[in-house]
Amino acid sequence: MNNQLFFQLSTLGASVILLFGITLLWRKSMRSYAETFKWQSVALSLMFIVIGYLGKDPELYAVAAALFILKAIIIPNYLRRMEKRFGDDRELKPYVNVATSLVLAGLFVLLAYSVTRPLVMVSDLPTRAGMPLAMGLIFVGLFLIITRKKAMAQIISFLVMENGIALLAALGTYGTPLIVELGVFLDALMGFLVMQVFVYHIHDTFETIDVDQMNELKH
Amino acid sequence: MVTLVNAILLEIGQAVLALLLAPGLVGFVRWLKARLQNRLGAPVWLPYVELWKLFGKEVVISRNASWLFRVTPYIVFACVLVVTFLVPMIIAPLPFDNAGDLLVVVYLLLLGTFFLALAGLDTGTAFGGMGSSREMTIAALAEPAIALAIFGLALGAGSTNLGQIVTLTLINPGVTINPGHFLAFAAMFIVSLAETGRLPVDNPSTHLELTMIHEAMILEYSGRYLALIEWASWLKLTVFFTLLANLFIPWGIATTLTLGSLGLAVLTLILKLVVLGVTVAVIETRIAKLRLFRVPELIGMSFVLALLAITSSFLLK
Repeated sequence: MNNQLFFQLSTLGASVILLFGITLLWRKSMRSYAETFKWQSVALSLMFIVIGYLGKDPELYAVAAALFILKAIIIPNYLRRMEKRFGDDRELKPYVNVATSLVLAGLFVLLAYSVTRPLVMVSDLPTRAGMPLAMGLIFVGLFLIITRKKAMAQIISFLVMENGIALLAALGTYGTPLIVELGVFLDALMGFLVMQVFVYHIHDTFETIDVDQMNELKH
Repeated sequence: MVTLVNAILLEIGQAVLALLLAPGLVGFVRWLKARLQNRLGAPVWLPYVELWKLFGKEVVISRNASWLFRVTPYIVFACVLVVTFLVPMIIAPLPFDNAGDLLVVVYLLLLGTFFLALAGLDTGTAFGGMGSSREMTIAALAEPAIALAIFGLALGAGSTNLGQIVTLTLINPGVTINPGHFLAFAAMFIVSLAETGRLPVDNPSTHLELTMIHEAMILEYSGRYLALIEWASWLKLTVFFTLLANLFIPWGIATTLTLGSLGLAVLTLILKLVVLGVTVAVIETRIAKLRLFRVPELIGMSFVLALLAITSSFLLK
């Protein structure tokens, strides 16, 4: 009975987290990108708590706390500051239009199901049903990175993909050891800070963060 | 087993209940929206008065209108009325349950839309044509999403029969936190807003030529024809809300034919309609209407949700 509940809850949570990723495909302003990412991270930390409680792995509480502080408070704060500095400008027309990318997102999830099939077959954890959804989120994140034009949107897409990886790890193995998990978080934070510096430089040099403008040498 | 007389009485009672509740629901949503926007708002019973007034008025018809224009209000009204006999509102399974399943319900509603679009074109006015063209665009986009959402539900229950879906969900409450069920609900909710001409897609409270869809089609109607069409569209809203409420959260619906359980079912139905009405009013207050060219994106979202619902209920077995 408990396993059944665990199964349902983990699949439901994974689909909610995936949905936040898919919503990004049709949002336009940088603010709503940042907001969506924040709520996705909140959902992800809740997911960690649920897995920690029902999977009886108290280490995951610490991971959930770290995740919440980092991805639902610190990074969204930085993003807000960035967004203020660049002004609330909207994502330019992405390379693939919204309707097509939504349909593609559906196909990515189907693809994720077929890719993770062997994994799901091997695993006997009650969380296994969520793994294809996490893989789908990784695909959607990758797709977001390559189709957005604004550097800031690309950063958020990267973070969303990172969320997908964390979710996959949590669902597949109840999370990697705490130390590895923390290493990954710090890695993500460092990556984010470096990218942020890059974006500021791009903005100072070109007066835009539209990377489409950067395909020819200016100076 | 219910006797034939009882069955017919029950069905007629349910249809009459839907007919009576529909204007009240719309009036309630309008009133709540007005209150949320710091306006005083017309009383909740205004739609009833509106209907009464329209039925008493004379009908003015353009000289160019054909018979199609005259029969459309009756067809539209009849389509929705038949649907109220099929949708389990207060009891499941209904006595007429085998007469039509979820597909019949949805396509009967679309049949009404089709005739309304024809009537919009019939008089040859610019607004009517524009409204019909928009309505057909949206209907054509919404249809695959609706069909997929239905299949998502049907896969969960193993049947497209409405009574069976409701009964199965009642027996096995764990289904409701199934992601397939939840995603199908979200998909169905978005499509319901599109189909009933609510806010992100169409604004029911303006006649602004740039944005109107449903209002543009029925611009030429007056008197009792207009009353019938308006009543039908309110009824459609009620039917969609009831579908959402009873297919996904069926508790409270009567399963046995006793006076007490029927009374309870009516009360819970009204409560569910009020909850959905509040949701819609809050959504409509918070968001602006989408530009027409963004509507395909919204419906695309619903399509993806429905697709995910199907994949998860199909592949998670």
